[in-house]
Amino acid sequence: MQQPSSDIGAERLICLPGDVALHARPAGLFVRAAAGFAADVIVSANGRDANAKSILEILALGAEGGAELRITASGDDAAAAADRLADLVAELR
Amino acid sequence: MNERNGYVALVLVSHSAAIAEGVAELVSQVAGPDVSILTAGGGPDGTLGTDGGRVLEALRTASEGAGGVVLMDLGSSILSVRAALGELSSEQRERLAVVDAPLVEGAVAAGVTASTGATRDETALAATQARAAAKF
Repeated sequence: MQQPSSDIGAERLICLPGDVALHARPAGLFVRAAAGFAADVIVSANGRDANAKSILEILALGAEGGAELRITASGDDAAAAADRLADLVAELR
Repeated sequence: MNERNGYVALVLVSHSAAIAEGVAELVSQVAGPDVSILTAGGGPDGTLGTDGGRVLEALRTASEGAGGVVLMDLGSSILSVRAALGELSSEQRERLAVVDAPLVEGAVAAGVTASTGATRDETALAATQARAAAKF
């Protein structure tokens, strides 16, 4: 039996590069990329959750260089969203 | 940046030119290069205060195209914003949303929202929602 599309989820764990904190420009790139997906995306870091599409919530994570991020996406393009955002994090400079 | 494109613009009104320009710089970093940010900070002679002419010019530019969202540092800035709005046509006024939001946080949220191609109302909402956003 097919699951309703809202049950489709994807999760990726990715670490920020050692010298890149999720502030200002990197956070902006991340949030703008997340906005391009229909999926709901939550980012967890330091025991705190943030809506990946909210710049203020992402900034409030205070994720420093090297921090591990858990990206959890749910919805139609969840896998694509989680993959794209994980790749983006890995490529941050 | 005075040219308008398809993105909603931001107008930052402050009693301080340094504040307005600093916030614009920060928002630019976070939101990227597509969002026009008009600043109207400081008095006519460069000291603290507001300059009605600068505010009017900023509002006029922001009222074109996709419209604009206006943010202020302090409540008293509303006086110069209202005066400038009175100088615009009703069509221009309709394309501007003056929001009650914290200047830095509201502009950052609005800037990122605008950069995704959001509407004027979506951008204005992002700014006002910044009032409730926790920082840490």
